[in-house]
Formats: sequence, structure tokens, C-alpha cells
Amino acid sequence: MTDDVVPLQGRSVAAPTWSSSLKVLLRADTTTQLRTSLSLVLTFALPLILLVATGLGKNSAVLGGPAFRISLALTVGLVSIGTVGYSLAIARDRDTGVFQRLRVTPAPTWTIMVSRWIVQLGAVLVMAIVVLVVAAVFVGITLRPHNYLFTVLVALLGSAVFLSIGQAIVGLIASADTLNAAGRLLYVPLIGLSLFGDSDRLGTTVELVSRWSPGGCLETLLSAAMGATAWSGQSWGALFASFGYTVVFAVIGIRWFRWGAR
Amino acid sequence: MTSEAPPVTGLALQVKDLRVSYGPKRAVDGVSLDINEGEIFGLLGPNGAGKTSTLSAIEGLLKPTSGSILIRQVDVRAHPGKAKALIGVQLQSTSFQSELKISEIVKLYAGLYGVPLTKPAIFDSLTEIHLSDEASRRFSQLSGGQQKRLALLIATVHDPPLVLLDEPTSGLDPQARRQLWDRIEGIRKSGRSILLTTHSMEEAQSVCDRVAIMDAGKILTVDTPAGLIEKHKKDPNVLAVARGQVTLEDVFIGLTGRELHD
Repeated sequence: MTDDVVPLQGRSVAAPTWSSSLKVLLRADTTTQLRTSLSLVLTFALPLILLVATGLGKNSAVLGGPAFRISLALTVGLVSIGTVGYSLAIARDRDTGVFQRLRVTPAPTWTIMVSRWIVQLGAVLVMAIVVLVVAAVFVGITLRPHNYLFTVLVALLGSAVFLSIGQAIVGLIASADTLNAAGRLLYVPLIGLSLFGDSDRLGTTVELVSRWSPGGCLETLLSAAMGATAWSGQSWGALFASFGYTVVFAVIGIRWFRWGAR
Repeated sequence: MTSEAPPVTGLALQVKDLRVSYGPKRAVDGVSLDINEGEIFGLLGPNGAGKTSTLSAIEGLLKPTSGSILIRQVDVRAHPGKAKALIGVQLQSTSFQSELKISEIVKLYAGLYGVPLTKPAIFDSLTEIHLSDEASRRFSQLSGGQQKRLALLIATVHDPPLVLLDEPTSGLDPQARRQLWDRIEGIRKSGRSILLTTHSMEEAQSVCDRVAIMDAGKILTVDTPAGLIEKHKKDPNVLAVARGQVTLEDVFIGLTGRELHD
């Protein structure tokens, strides 16, 4: 029974600091991330399967060189984590009222979302490192030390791009079910476009669209970061375009985001 | 407003001329109410009367069109973080992070209110509501009554001076409902004030010190349950629906009408 609850007299109730709120949220969100089997599959299994599978068979070379294999694995991981996994998790928590419950606590509203972003960035960082380690140890693809650093940094930039796309989707689509379908539909073109940035097999228009799509820009940057191509004007363009995509989609996602299902 | 604890005025909550709109629809239309410290105040009303919208505005989930809300003299709109630290909330449909265990949920929400709880303290609080055996289970694995008990525990984990309960006993069997009433009584005995919404006349009469009847966004009348019956027992609309001695339900239907309010 609640009779032994401490009486209020003399007890001051103060709002905790934003940093303590963020710390508590980060712990909970990390635990959630680690316990979600779908997110683990999307984060690690899919990129690693692609990394290994693209090296199998006699004609594997036509798919691209070692750098292409790594960048494809990273791109798939980033799209899976940022655009599909993140937006679905947000939509599900919105539908079930988790966000509204959090919003009635003194935690500043922005800490709720920033905590989610940090956990996703952490997942991307771990995914990128695992992909690079597996590529080096098990597949025999190695890079120079500074290329590893650049590759991880580009992966983090790419995660910002795809997280902002995920944020825009969850801002524009109200229900988790619709979002699930839309996420699957977007998954194919986002990855598909990243594949044809360096090829005119489907025509120059597709090549141009592909090269400047979010995935295509990421491919360009990853290729330069891994030292497969020289840093060029196109690399600068891809860098600025990636920042642009991040800002535009984040603004859309934040402007139209609703915390509650209603 | 200073960072000192607010002075005790005898009023836990003051709402003045509150208005909330959803586009052109006005959900709350000039609601004013005062809740004394240590008082249990009930908001009664048919579906769509504006009860939940009133609560949501107090909780900071909805931005009022106009009006003022003071929780222990703290302005909710000017100091949302400080105001939220002064309230405990049980939402109408509560859901918590699906991947977290019950003990982790308690730790999370205690942390968000700046209350560090040790494992033994969490265990003790779960024992108090007969959920210690469920500490490692997920929220979705609990029965409806267990979920409500946990939600109430979390609403009071930081000993707030004001507790807001949105239909706390809806969907519960009579035993669970009585248990929850005891807990609500216990919360009041510890010096806290409670504002609850309910559709149950029995609940209003058994638990509430004062009751307000709302309809179409306005408060129609406020008094003790017995006082309401006394005040309206000769009202022709009430007499028209009474079957024998006038009850609180007769007063409710007499004032809000017989037609459905879907």
C-alpha cells in the first residue's frame, strides 16, 4: 500500500538537468537497440552477407573492385539503419504512445530525439568498423590507415543523410504500417541508384540521377575515402550535396513530425 | 520565477480560462478550476467533452490557444520543465519501450525525474505494487491491472505534489479497480493532490472530494458528489432521466443529455 510513501512536506521537486535526462535516455535507447533483433540483422547481417556474397562466383569481378564491395556493404547498412530501421522504430513508438509518455516528464523534448540519433550513429560506427574488419580479416580487402579513418567519417556523414531521410519519412507518414510499406519501396531505389553512379549501362540520364542521388553521392565519397579514386571536383560536389540532403530532409522531418498518433 | 521551491499556497493547480483548439474545432472552451492540496478532483464528461484535452494542456502535451495553468504557482507555459517536475502523469493509454524490462522502465522514468533508484529500491517499489515477480518481464506481458499499477507507480516515482490520472481504472475488473482506488487514496494520504478523469460515477463518488462535469469543452458544474446531487436534484432535465432517487449519474445525464457523444 502507499501509506508508507514519503510525505511531501519539506521535499523540493526540481527538474533534472538536460544532460542527466540525455544520459538516462541514452542508456534506455541503447538497451532497446541491442535487444531488437531486426535492428541487429539490419545493422550487421545484411552488410556482411553482401560483402562476402559479392566476392563469390567466377564473375564477381564484374560487380566491382574491393572498394566497391565495401562501399556497397556500407551503403546497404546505412540505408537499412537510417531509413528503414530508424523510421520504423520511431513510427512504432509514436503509434504506441511511448513518446507522449516521455514528453510528460521534465526531460527536454529535443533530448528524446537526440538520444535516438546518437544511438543510431553509434550503430553506424560499429557497423562500419565491423564491415572494415571483416573485409580485412576474412575477405582480404585492406586499406591504408588514413583511408580507414576517412571511410568511417564518410560513413557517419552518410548516416546523417539517411537518418534525415528516415526522419522526413516518419514526419510525412503518420502510421507505422504505411511507413513500413513506404520504407520497403524506398529501400530498392535508394540502394539501386547508388549502384549505377559510375555506369552508363542504363543510359546517361539514369547515370546522372544516380550519381547525384543520396546513395550515389555516398558511393562517390566512399570511393574517394578508400583511395580507390582521387578526390576531385565531383567529390566536393558529392560532399556538398550530402550536406544539402541532410539539411533539407531534416528540416522536412522536423517541421512535419508529430509526437503523437492523433 | 526563482529556482527556489515554489511557495505553498494551498492550491496545487490553478487553471484559468483555458482554451484548446484542434484547427477550427474548440475542444476546451474557457475551463477554469482550482485544485486544493491533498484533494482528489474528478473530471466527469461524455466522450469528446474535453477532459483529456484539458489534462493534455496541463501536462504540456498540447499548447493552449489561451488561458493560464499554474502548478503550485509555476506557470506551465513559461517553465515547462519545472512544471513537469511537479506532476506525475498516467496517460489514458500508457505504453513503455517494448524491449525494456519492467525494472528498467522504472529506473528510466525515475532517472528522468532526477530520482536515482538502486536495484533494491526498484525491487521494493515493485514489491509494493505486487510486481516484484514480474521485474524481468516486458510491459506488454503484464495484465491490464498490472499495467495500470505500474503506470501509477511510475506516475508517483518522484513524489510529485500533483498527480494527473486519465481514466485510471478503465478496463479493469472490480477487484483491480478497488485496489487502484486504495492506491489513489494512499497517494492523497501522503499529501499529494490528484486530478482524475473518469466515466465511472461510482469511482467519482467513492474516490473524489470534488467533481466537475464537463461537456462540449466547458465545465457545467463543480461540487462534491453529494453537493452536485443536492444542487441539481430539482432540475427538470435531471428529474426527467431519474429512476427513483436522484443519483450522480442522473445529474450527469440530465446535464449532458441522453444522446451519444461519439
